[in-house]
Amino acid sequence: MLFVVALLGILAANKLEAQEEVPKNWNAEKIRGNRFLPDATYLGTPFIFENFLNGKIELEDGTMIENLRLKYNNYRDELICYNSAISTQIVVDKISVNSFTLTDEKGIFHLFRKLYYTGLMPGDRYFEILSEGDISLLVYRKILLLSCPVYGEMGKEKNMSYQEAFSYYFYQVKKGFELVKPEKKSLLSKFDASNQKSVKKLLQQNKISVNDETGFVKGWNLIKSSGVAVNF
Amino acid sequence: MKRRLFTLLILLVGLSCKCQVKEGFGLFTDHDLYTSGENILLKVFVPSNELPGIVNVGLFNLKGMQVSAAFLEMTDRQANGYIHLSDTLSSGCYFVRTTTRTSATQTVKEVYIANRFSGLSESGIFLRPTGVVPIFDVPIQTLQVEGIEKSYKRRENVHVTLRFSSELLSQTDGNLHVSITRLTPGFNFSTFYTHAKPEFSRTVGNEGMIISGTVTDAGTAKPFNNAIVFLTVPDSSPRFQYFNTAENGRFYFQLKNYFGEIPVVLQCFDPERKHELKIRLSNTENLLASLPDFETIVFPPELREIVAKNVEAHNFSRIFSQLQLKEKPVAEAKAGKYPFYGVPTRVVYPKQFIDLVNFDEISRELLQGVRFRENNHVLTLQLFNFQRNKFFDEQPLILLNGIPVEDIQAIRNLGTKEIDRIEVCLSERFYGNLQFPGVIAIYTTKSDYSWLNESDSVLKLRLNAIEPPSILNSPTDNNFKEPDLRRVLLWLPSLKPEPNMNIEFQTSDVRGRYKLEIRGMGRDGKFFYKENFFEVN
Repeated sequence: MLFVVALLGILAANKLEAQEEVPKNWNAEKIRGNRFLPDATYLGTPFIFENFLNGKIELEDGTMIENLRLKYNNYRDELICYNSAISTQIVVDKISVNSFTLTDEKGIFHLFRKLYYTGLMPGDRYFEILSEGDISLLVYRKILLLSCPVYGEMGKEKNMSYQEAFSYYFYQVKKGFELVKPEKKSLLSKFDASNQKSVKKLLQQNKISVNDETGFVKGWNLIKSSGVAVNF
Repeated sequence: MKRRLFTLLILLVGLSCKCQVKEGFGLFTDHDLYTSGENILLKVFVPSNELPGIVNVGLFNLKGMQVSAAFLEMTDRQANGYIHLSDTLSSGCYFVRTTTRTSATQTVKEVYIANRFSGLSESGIFLRPTGVVPIFDVPIQTLQVEGIEKSYKRRENVHVTLRFSSELLSQTDGNLHVSITRLTPGFNFSTFYTHAKPEFSRTVGNEGMIISGTVTDAGTAKPFNNAIVFLTVPDSSPRFQYFNTAENGRFYFQLKNYFGEIPVVLQCFDPERKHELKIRLSNTENLLASLPDFETIVFPPELREIVAKNVEAHNFSRIFSQLQLKEKPVAEAKAGKYPFYGVPTRVVYPKQFIDLVNFDEISRELLQGVRFRENNHVLTLQLFNFQRNKFFDEQPLILLNGIPVEDIQAIRNLGTKEIDRIEVCLSERFYGNLQFPGVIAIYTTKSDYSWLNESDSVLKLRLNAIEPPSILNSPTDNNFKEPDLRRVLLWLPSLKPEPNMNIEFQTSDVRGRYKLEIRGMGRDGKFFYKENFFEVN
């Protein structure tokens, strides 16, 4: 008994010296934004990912906030974060965000970066990075709200519908954006006539057909690694 | 029984081993004897096992109470700075201590401070620690000091070359510290390691300052669960943080990238507005972890003379307003591109319009979407919610110079003359888990916080954040007419080691024996030094 008391005494004395523990995430960066209010219902959806996905946000000052439930509103080009503590969907202030990532249901990782678009309707936009490098391949995954026939397969429907209008760009920090279409012809136009033949051969040898986004990205990554000079 | 005793013994030995200090901070000061009103120049070498961030340096009296402190920014496991000694410090022995908030060791150096008005005590005796194990550093021979003479005239320009062997260069970890200070003969003040109780665990990190404290129920004095604590650093672009207390009522805030003295306001409240709360700060920094034994020493007569001359020299330098240090500009912490409450929907500068005498008139004439009313002597303030196209039912977040205000009376009498600008957010704003039914931020022409009364739930503080970097103020012209009373001729705390290093300095008008000292830290964590002496006649 005496032994146990002595043992407890020693342990307790040692415990008293222990330093103060602070709660987990006590100093976590706070997300700032407005309440998300859904738009009126039309045909289709303003989101390419309908559900909230796991993601992280890198703020302008470099702070990383992880393990978030995020959703990208393609129609409004807004990032929405679900705050489970207050059960609220918050539109994250675009000014505070540098980049964010989403991992979709298939486990595919999507990186979006805020860049200042200098073309028509200039301003900060979220671009998905399809291929990163000295010249990056980006896509602005815009969804437009367009008028459509009121009567469809289901009878009388809405007169507006959300429609994908993705824009692809080559981007370099110094030179800015250059619009490109995810087609073979558009890709080849970025090379000198002398290089176009070798690019075509390279794509054929690797059995890459550039007629959609996936093929375009594969083709671009292959050309990039081969070191063929790009006209940009 | 023997087995039990053996277990107990092993446990005791194991626990006591924790108290063994294996590797400590290197703490070096310009002198051992100071006059109140002077600065203690500091150089700290940090052990390799410490986290990067902030080094805490404190000045403690013999009772173990902190009388002054500095937070120094660590760069490459070294820190430089100073502690200013208040004019009112009484004469006696003091301790300079350095540690970090997560460190289990601390290095303590004893210094003697003479009050500049009263000088030494008449009795000539003072207390100093006894029984401590002083630290002895290793002198090195592989560093050559060339061009140093045995004596120099006053106000003479001196050029010295330091030559490092390649072996020493490869063994040196980080920058070197080079100083030339007037020597105090005949008395050795010791530096020693002691065990420290870390304030926080290493998981907290060592970056920035931590402000911590407890919120209690003012009625029961028990820790209050789920209180909200606001911390504001008022400014033209205010910084704001909040904390929800747990059952122990504790709160923590980290302040990063702040330099010099900063105003801080802490407010706490019960979200349900049912209880009166009381907020108090932790005071763990203000006590020395352990105190040594003391013995009574008679002040040597020659030292009395030196102290008297030091006091006289310091008083003269004060008359001529000679500053020992000058601050280097630092990039202050920015609140970001926009304030914590969001990009304002509108910014109004009342001075651009006709003079309006109070906030009622300003809200009616200038602030679209702001409803400031008095009904039956009850003031209400509501903002328009543009998202929902109607006024919020609740009171918005009202900020006066960045400080949250609950009582609308505080802004009622503010007119054009008092207000510099008004920022309004006409939407439902979120900051972390906090929700604001719109925000109205008023910035006054005078940045004073006298309107905010300190109470149990409100603390107004002026905190010394990270010490701004400073350099020694050396005369550039040796023909200036004022007396040059410098006792520190050179203080270069972070010199990059090179095979040949040229050092230039100018002697002052203070005669005596001076010490050129080069200090550094080896890759094995041990400190080394080289000393050379010369006279100034």
